[in-house]
Amino acid sequence: MLVLSLGGGLWGAEQSIGHWTGKLFENVCHQDPLRSLTVNGTPMAVNSRCFGIFSGLWMGWLAIPIIIRFSLKNLWTNWFLLLAVMLQIIDYMGNHILWENNNASRVVLGLLLGVAVAIFLSDFFQTKNNKG
Amino acid sequence: MNEEENTQALSFSDYLPSIGIVGLIFSLVTFVIGLFFGYQQINSEPTGSFMSPMMFSGVVICLVSALAGLLAVWHFTREVTPYMTLGQGALIGFLTGAVIVLFSVVLSELWILIFDPEYTTKMMDAAIANIEAMEMPEANKQQMIDAVADSMAGGQSIWQQIFWGVPITGLINLVTGLIGVKVFAEKKEETF
Repeated sequence: MLVLSLGGGLWGAEQSIGHWTGKLFENVCHQDPLRSLTVNGTPMAVNSRCFGIFSGLWMGWLAIPIIIRFSLKNLWTNWFLLLAVMLQIIDYMGNHILWENNNASRVVLGLLLGVAVAIFLSDFFQTKNNKG
Repeated sequence: MNEEENTQALSFSDYLPSIGIVGLIFSLVTFVIGLFFGYQQINSEPTGSFMSPMMFSGVVICLVSALAGLLAVWHFTREVTPYMTLGQGALIGFLTGAVIVLFSVVLSELWILIFDPEYTTKMMDAAIANIEAMEMPEANKQQMIDAVADSMAGGQSIWQQIFWGVPITGLINLVTGLIGVKVFAEKKEETF
């Protein structure tokens, strides 16, 4: 999903909208080129926030073996996810009114949400050894 | 029914009500939202802003439909069994996303077929008018217009819309389905 979200630029296309990678994401993202990062000069198939979320999920998923050492049975994983969701909502609502977000801030906040989801789910991958 | 029986006696038909009911409800909701913003786009003056009603509808529909996996799992835990594995949550989430795409595409096609055959043309005209009003280099504008025209006038068939729509909507609902398992289901103790 993360690779596909990089859009048409990865495949030599001049636009992601209309490209097959763009078609994949057109139901789930506004694909505004001004709010997207670029690959080889072509806007990605998703905006910077969605790219951040996908990157965060991927990174968080890879880090699960490390995360479970710290997050097990800790309530902070729930609060961390809630905080990440709230930050998206606050940033979305406050944008253009109280502040102007940019690609970098959207990526960072998206990344936070993606990582928070992976951390939230991490304890499923912890098995208990009751033998002996 | 004890925990062991709950997880072992499940067949695909046990999943169907949760997937079907939640999928149908969300496809109807997303279809109505899409239609609402679609006609807003058609009936509004081109502003030249990327955040047009249709762009906004994409965000709203994504956020709304992403909740479907979560709710389908909730429904499953209420109606079938409170004990679920991550895989079951993933399955329910993905298939719920697939059902949403499937039915919302069918509803859209029916709308165009029965109520407004000109809907796609009007949408394309509104989108192109909006791009033309944007402040950007002419070459970029033309590229975007061509891309929009290709994607809309190219007339994706029902199957193409489903083909392109299911994977990502399914995967996003798969993730929310996993979250649903964590939030609503009871976890089996695994021993080795």
